[in-house]
Amino acid sequence: MEVVRNRWLTKNAWAAVLVLVGALPIAGFESGAPREPEREQEVNASGIARKGAFRLEGLRIREAALKRQLAALAPTGSYIIVDTARNRLYVRRRAEVLVTAVASTGSGTILDSPDRPGARWVFDTPRGEFMIQSKFMNPVWVKPDWAFLEEGLEVPADPAQRVEAGMLGDYALGFGNGFFIHGTLYTRLLGKNVTHGCVRLNDEDLRSVYRLADIGTPLMIF
Amino acid sequence: MGFGRITALFQRRTLRRLPTSPDLGRIFRLACWIALSLSTPALAVEPSSHGSVKGNGLDALREANRVLEEEIKLASRPRVYWLLDLSERVIAIKARGVELHRFPILAWHMAGGGSVAELFRLRARPSVARPKATSGDEASQELIELQDMPAEYELAFDPPLTLFVAPPAHERPWLWARSRLREWFTRFASWGRSVVVPSQKAAGPRLRLTLSREAAQSLAWSGTEGMPRLIKNAIPP
Repeated sequence: MEVVRNRWLTKNAWAAVLVLVGALPIAGFESGAPREPEREQEVNASGIARKGAFRLEGLRIREAALKRQLAALAPTGSYIIVDTARNRLYVRRRAEVLVTAVASTGSGTILDSPDRPGARWVFDTPRGEFMIQSKFMNPVWVKPDWAFLEEGLEVPADPAQRVEAGMLGDYALGFGNGFFIHGTLYTRLLGKNVTHGCVRLNDEDLRSVYRLADIGTPLMIF
Repeated sequence: MGFGRITALFQRRTLRRLPTSPDLGRIFRLACWIALSLSTPALAVEPSSHGSVKGNGLDALREANRVLEEEIKLASRPRVYWLLDLSERVIAIKARGVELHRFPILAWHMAGGGSVAELFRLRARPSVARPKATSGDEASQELIELQDMPAEYELAFDPPLTLFVAPPAHERPWLWARSRLREWFTRFASWGRSVVVPSQKAAGPRLRLTLSREAAQSLAWSGTEGMPRLIKNAIPP
């Protein structure tokens, strides 16, 4: 029993020593070289402080310049933003919001091609930055292959059979790869993800967007 | 009662109270267990930082300037990018330096070492089951909407960075627990790979973001393959 007690005490003593050694730096005790005279330290400290302030000022100037450079990259005129998650379209000029519209965007559904195994259409509104490439009044819809296949119809050989008037509203603004901002007959579906990738608006909002956007107007979709 | 008897009794009681070998073992195990519980992050031997740091001063300015320089490069080309600002606790979707949308970050935690001072590109957005397009009334079609997006997921980036997104524990305890489990598993798998193939590249930093359910779904929605993400790190003051 005496042996056990001695061992226990020895271990506790070692633990106490370890705790003390560990606590020294926390308590602010330092070992090493003796301290320099206070005056010398003050001189050094003021030098470092001056250098620090100088560097800080330099970084602040650089930050302001970079912010100006970044702000210069923003569109100078009107630009369009489409939020596909919430189905909203905004036309902005700088920070000012000129139009807020409820839109319909891509449904995210898929359609497999019956002719080409493995090939499929994904009806998403493309995301990224685009620009308005074309503007039309009274546009007609030239139905793509998927519009027929989705209905279970054969794709016509005659291009004239693809044309359908009155489906896209009074205006259409193209932004590449067959995608458009256009009107709709199904206004009750505005605010939902129902389209094949185009952005649909009601007549009034479409007119405002058509008026404010020119060819080259940036379009940001997320 | 004689003096000798009292002394003998005292010694017996004192010695009985002193720990014996099995007691010492139990004390040692308990101490180890407490130390393990308290020092889990430290055990990983990796730097970790939490969402409470909001920096100022030289380092914070340096970081701000680094991010601005990177952002200028991104904004000079037509594309949408994410800016994850840990110091301001916000994720901004931006293009041309213009903020398109922003979500608040409720909490964050970074671990795993490595630098976040890089431009990361999203490898793949969270997968979602896409319904097939059908003919007929559009209103009756099955669609993918924001609510269909996951609120708990993992995003992988190049160069290696793993982002774990989950709603807060009090809001969705099950999703939160699943996210932690997912993170633990990823970490374990990465450790296993490094043991088997020591020459393998490090798994990179891991960033855990706590977002509201809607913000987590919006983030999953807005991501596209290859989308760049810039991280502004929080610099401790």
